Amino acid sequence: MNRGRRFPWVVFLIIPIIVFLAIFFLIPYANMVYMSFLVKPETGAYLKVFTLGNYARALGDTFYWKVLRQTFWYSLVTTAVTLVAGYPLAYHIARAPKRWRGLFLIMLISPLLVSIIVRSFGWMILLGKVGIINTLVKRYGGPELPLMYNAFGVVVGLVHIYLPFMALSIAGALQTISPDIERAARSLGATPWRAFWRITWRLSLPGVFAGTLLVFVLAVSSYVIPILLGGNNVLVMPIVIVQMLLDAFNWPLGSALSMVLFGGTVALLWLYVKLMNQALRWTTR
Amino acid sequence: MDHPVRRPQRNGWALSVVVGLLYVFLLTPIVIVILSAFNAGDYLRFPPQGFSLRWFVRFTESESFVRAFEFSLRLAVYVTLASTVLGTMGALFIVRYARRVRDTLRLLLIAPLQFPAILTGIALLIFFYATGIGTRGMRPLFIGHTLVTIPYVFLTVSTVLVTFDRSLEEAARSLGAGPFRAFWRITLPIIKGGIISGALFAFITSFDQFPISLLLISVGNTTLPIALFDYLRFSFEPTAAAVSTLSVLLSVGIVVVIQRLVGLESIYWGGPR
Repeated sequence: MNRGRRFPWVVFLIIPIIVFLAIFFLIPYANMVYMSFLVKPETGAYLKVFTLGNYARALGDTFYWKVLRQTFWYSLVTTAVTLVAGYPLAYHIARAPKRWRGLFLIMLISPLLVSIIVRSFGWMILLGKVGIINTLVKRYGGPELPLMYNAFGVVVGLVHIYLPFMALSIAGALQTISPDIERAARSLGATPWRAFWRITWRLSLPGVFAGTLLVFVLAVSSYVIPILLGGNNVLVMPIVIVQMLLDAFNWPLGSALSMVLFGGTVALLWLYVKLMNQALRWTTR
Repeated sequence: MDHPVRRPQRNGWALSVVVGLLYVFLLTPIVIVILSAFNAGDYLRFPPQGFSLRWFVRFTESESFVRAFEFSLRLAVYVTLASTVLGTMGALFIVRYARRVRDTLRLLLIAPLQFPAILTGIALLIFFYATGIGTRGMRPLFIGHTLVTIPYVFLTVSTVLVTFDRSLEEAARSLGAGPFRAFWRITLPIIKGGIISGALFAFITSFDQFPISLLLISVGNTTLPIALFDYLRFSFEPTAAAVSTLSVLLSVGIVVVIQRLVGLESIYWGGPR
């Protein structure tokens, strides 16, 4: 090893990427925060005059509150459903024999690599008025079911998109738990359910924790699914924000609304982390 | 973790049924799209009315789709080149040389993945206008896509780098190889799988990217997902299914290659510890 006091040339490995991220990631976000405090004039994009007016408008209007509440509600439902469905998937994959695991992982991960538009399209074919499900239901004399262009369709689409993320997060945690521990509990007389509940579930909580956080954050900012599967009947914050920017051309208010969504999400997550920590402390007592 | 002891199959079938249904749920929409693309009928109806390739022919005749397809491919190639070089360099530095700043740098490089893409797109849109870079041409899309694909390259490459035995490279150095030669002849061949997987992930992420593209496209520079999205909002023809099928096939091919090379776990199970 020749570690002299020479100039550390290796920093040139990291400098390009830092410069790139600083210019095209950190500065644009900082600029968006700055923009949210500027005045929107009648004509033109913005005036460099400080104001809190955008926040006053964003927080003072009950319409935005309603949209924000809806956004969080859909995300919450999505998170809950993906947790319930993702756990068995994760458990199964983590306990699968090694030679099968690759196949299951491919089945779980390939949907993630298929464009979100294509997957929404698949749901549109399935859930639409003359879609596959309705055609089948009607053939057997059932009524036409409102499956799409409403909250139901949106949640189905969201669950479909985020289920793999949840399952993979939990599987990551389950994978590190030896099945021997559960077996030991069983051999000491615990019922399978009790062994699962007292051992496996608790040890997998970090994965559950990570998965729920991830899915919630992703769901809050989803745009494509609410547009395609919600039609014009489901409004969420990302839709309103994009409209504000592209159609109304109001960058200051759009930026302020983005910050409100951001802040609201962070606040909810903070609350969640606090509650989870308390719950964890309580269960490990 | 592998446990050689054979486990008794207790209440395994109930779990298997539930898991089976969940996989059906996950894969059905994709399979349906593919089936619709080969349907001979005029509408996306069920049951299908015979087998036909006419919608693929219709796709090749649709100028807007073909142009968007070509544009997306070209964009994805440039993005992949840029993010692979940047991400690999970053991974080399962070895994090997960054000591105290390692965690900070890692957070920074993964950050574009943690922030909502739609907000990143908005931030970039405003930034490009404000600085006069503008949103015309491929450049803004190139920058936005590179931003969100860097984390994938970084994660895959650092996964293989942490398991890499540095004594091999040190041996080459002590036998007189220069640092570049040692890297080129020893390190690169060993981490090649990680780099290729990262590049493939970057490619498919860029090819399928939606939220950032939505905000940064301009007239005449439309990506395939955007073209598909615009199309689906107003019509419901099987041509869209044919286009989708092509993009699914691309994804499936890439998944299989990555699985062969490094295994998919490396990316989705949190990368290097």
